[in-house]
Amino acid sequence: MTARASGSAPGAALAGLVAAPVVVGLGYSAAAAIGLAGPAARGLSLVHIDRVMRDATVWRGLAWTIYAAALATALATAAAVAVAIGFRGTGIGDRLARIAALVPFPIPYVVAAAGAVLVLGQSGLLARLAAAAGVIHDPSGFPPLVLDRPGLGFILTFAWKEVPFLTFVAVSVLATRGQQLEETARTLGASPAATLRRVTVPLLWRGLAPAVVLVFIFIAGTYEGAALLGPTDPLPFAVATYERYQALDLTLRGDGFVLTLLGLILGLAAVAVFEWTRARAERLRS
Amino acid sequence: MTAPGGVPDRPLPAPAANGALDVRGLAVSFGSHAGLAQIDLSVAAGERFAIVGASGAGKTSLLRAIAGLVPCTAGRVVIGGRDVSALPPERRDAVYLHQVPTLFPHLTVFENVAFPMRVRGLGRAEIERRVPEMLAAVRLAGFGARSPQTLSGGQRHRVALARAMAARPSVLLLDEPLSSLDPGLREEVREAILDVQHVDRPAVVLVTHDLDDAGLLADRVAVLLDRRLTAGTPPSALFGHPPTLAVARFLGFANELPGHVLADGTFEWPLGRLRPAPALPCGPAIGLCRADAVRPAAGGVPLRITGLRYHAQRTTAVGELLVRRDGQGTSADPPAWPTSVELQVLPGAVPAIGDILPVTVDARDVSVFPLR
Amino acid sequence: MTHAPVPGRTTAAPIPVATGASPGWRGVRLAMVTLLVISAVGPPALLAMLSASQSWFYPALLPTGWTADAWSAVVRRGPLARAVGTSVVLGLTTGVVGCVLAAPIGRALARLHGAARHVAVAAAVLPAAAPPIAVATGLQLTFVRAQLAGTPVGVVLAHLVPAVGVLSFFFFAVFTAYDTRLDDEARSLGASPRQVWLRVTLPTLRPQLGAGVGLGFLVSWGQVPLTLVIGGGRVHTLPLEVMGYVQAGETRFAAAAALLLILLPIVLLLVASARLVRGSAPASAPAPASAPAPASAPASAPTRVSA
Repeated sequence: MTARASGSAPGAALAGLVAAPVVVGLGYSAAAAIGLAGPAARGLSLVHIDRVMRDATVWRGLAWTIYAAALATALATAAAVAVAIGFRGTGIGDRLARIAALVPFPIPYVVAAAGAVLVLGQSGLLARLAAAAGVIHDPSGFPPLVLDRPGLGFILTFAWKEVPFLTFVAVSVLATRGQQLEETARTLGASPAATLRRVTVPLLWRGLAPAVVLVFIFIAGTYEGAALLGPTDPLPFAVATYERYQALDLTLRGDGFVLTLLGLILGLAAVAVFEWTRARAERLRS
Repeated sequence: MTAPGGVPDRPLPAPAANGALDVRGLAVSFGSHAGLAQIDLSVAAGERFAIVGASGAGKTSLLRAIAGLVPCTAGRVVIGGRDVSALPPERRDAVYLHQVPTLFPHLTVFENVAFPMRVRGLGRAEIERRVPEMLAAVRLAGFGARSPQTLSGGQRHRVALARAMAARPSVLLLDEPLSSLDPGLREEVREAILDVQHVDRPAVVLVTHDLDDAGLLADRVAVLLDRRLTAGTPPSALFGHPPTLAVARFLGFANELPGHVLADGTFEWPLGRLRPAPALPCGPAIGLCRADAVRPAAGGVPLRITGLRYHAQRTTAVGELLVRRDGQGTSADPPAWPTSVELQVLPGAVPAIGDILPVTVDARDVSVFPLR
Repeated sequence: MTHAPVPGRTTAAPIPVATGASPGWRGVRLAMVTLLVISAVGPPALLAMLSASQSWFYPALLPTGWTADAWSAVVRRGPLARAVGTSVVLGLTTGVVGCVLAAPIGRALARLHGAARHVAVAAAVLPAAAPPIAVATGLQLTFVRAQLAGTPVGVVLAHLVPAVGVLSFFFFAVFTAYDTRLDDEARSLGASPRQVWLRVTLPTLRPQLGAGVGLGFLVSWGQVPLTLVIGGGRVHTLPLEVMGYVQAGETRFAAAAALLLILLPIVLLLVASARLVRGSAPASAPAPASAPAPASAPASAPTRVSA
């Protein structure tokens, strides 16, 4: 008891310290959003908040961000689950697949996005291949995958980028207790398909959920990815935040603080969801 | 038996009478080890059959081979008269229970027990009627909504047993069912095993390294030694009269003393003379008996007590027999053979160290093996 | 299949895992492996080709002329080479300082229970999970007031914000899995808490500490928004160079810079993963000490390597 009591207070305090910069940012942007701080401070006023609330482009950008991040996350999750279930043996093919799936892990977002521009753009490699194969005749015949409204390039790129992390987690979820539970299911009468559906996938889902939430948070929050691959209309939320913040017009800069505040609040909410899924997954282990 | 690499090519002989499980000529190889060879065993419905063996003898592999969880290299497994050797685990009608209960952590207790019924496509009404019955059978009525993580160790074992019985298997395979448990829990889980067996009377095969567990749980016990399995015998017979010296040594008899089988068939050893049945060839031999077979008796061989051993539920005394080798040797020589003996003593009659106690042993309690 | 057929086997091999082994499945597996390998090897190969192509006009499938000007610019210590140096220094500093700060925090988090654990873990993850651009814009004027904006020190401090978040969570997972009986044993053998930390805990966790430094390095190595906003255009890192070249349409230089940004981390990963990937031992086997962090704590890898 004493050990626990004495260990608990510093732990909480240290965690608070880690979060402090975000809290400072939250406080500052909140103050700036209501006109009490920042370059455009002119006394308490809700004018910036009001302008942002009425600005449809902001909300459309936010909606696009959520849509693209959700779709990319879903694709990456499906791929990671497939790799983790399909390649968990000790054979050469299994190992090769696991290594190959891990390689993009350390590739920075900015490289992934830059590479996507060079490959998926209308004069990129895919377009050349298509032309060489005679499918299209000139670059404009190639579907726009970059800076496009549906965000196909963005979605594919970041789905690819996040497969390694999710695969890594999925493989370790299955390695911990997966085989034993699957054997139990089989000997209790479940067919391979039923075992997959009733044991492997639910187990994987619970263990993987916190990682999936993190991946969504990362993709939704990327600035450089959205700047290089996202559309200009609707403008992705991260890009909109930076553009308003950088604006010469002081009114727009005030709006930038409202977007900053909104981004940080959304981050806070996402972290709460993450911690909820993490606690659920943690309970699976005992 | 069967063509190499093929499936059984002729109709099976009728299984042993009432045989829920019949294993013939089973061989299992594991990795670089030699594996198991020529395993035969037959267990009747409602019977409990224990396989004992040292750690690493392959007990778990044998159970898993019967369950279909590891491949076997030869032989066949017949369950309920049906050759299941080529069938996957879910179609074998045998449930294997891990040593540590593996409950599905993502399902409630109710759903864990319902699992075998759901994968068999049973109707909702039947599941909702039978699961509480199964839980009641392991004295966990009302635990259905709990999550496995909230259960105690003994409760988890009981849920695992109830879930196994929900599959209504012909054969229940238990891997070290009591090994990892405290003394109190052992009794709880032992009773749960007996309880669930009442439901559908499956054949139970359990493996354990603990002879006491085997004796407590099983109707018959077999020993897995040196890749082979001995024939199953009731625990009293096995523990009293092991079939071979190797088995006897595995069982750990307290007293092992050398002697001689004389020309007239009498076995002479430090504890006296006796006539083994069946008759043994003339020559050196070894006699074994349990500590509780040695009894203080007037006119017995004098034993000088040198130490006392206090076990939880019994006390034994150890000592040196004060005998000279006679008969074939010269009685003036000092002892030329080991004469250390352990005997069980009653709480009211614990001797003091240094006491001299005359002891004797009944011929029926001695196993004699010729030495070759 | 992991089991080769055993000669003379009379029983069908049971399938220990949930997946079957039909020929169709084998085809799917082959296709998946191919796709994975292409997706792993393709991008670096492509960037290498682009970085040296003089002209590669549509619709030529391969470059029609080659040049090494982007690479010779690197060698001749142009801006690209300076950016590499800056990024390496920033990354190493962030990784090492981040681990020094985060390891004790992670240990403290792992010892919490109940509601305090949830709140503290969420707080520690927050800087890593909040949108980096919002963290940057929210902090910039504070950095300006502290005269840290536009300086390398300011940029390191800014990078440490998400890095310490990521690493606190990483070490939280490490210490949740850590067997404290080892520490107890050392205490009962007469070691002080400090001695236990230095002589038992840290040496035992050397592989994890290495991974932590690598993770902190990656957070800084790919960072764009914090460098952009806090650096204010005066601290030139490799990712900013990539951004600039891509936006300026300088394909060759963009590819060279991107390739530089990939190569170092991939080499690091391959070194580290030799250990990690060997895994997937049978479930019954105990996890080796260097095994990946526990399943439910995906900490071993919050990946936002950039941003």
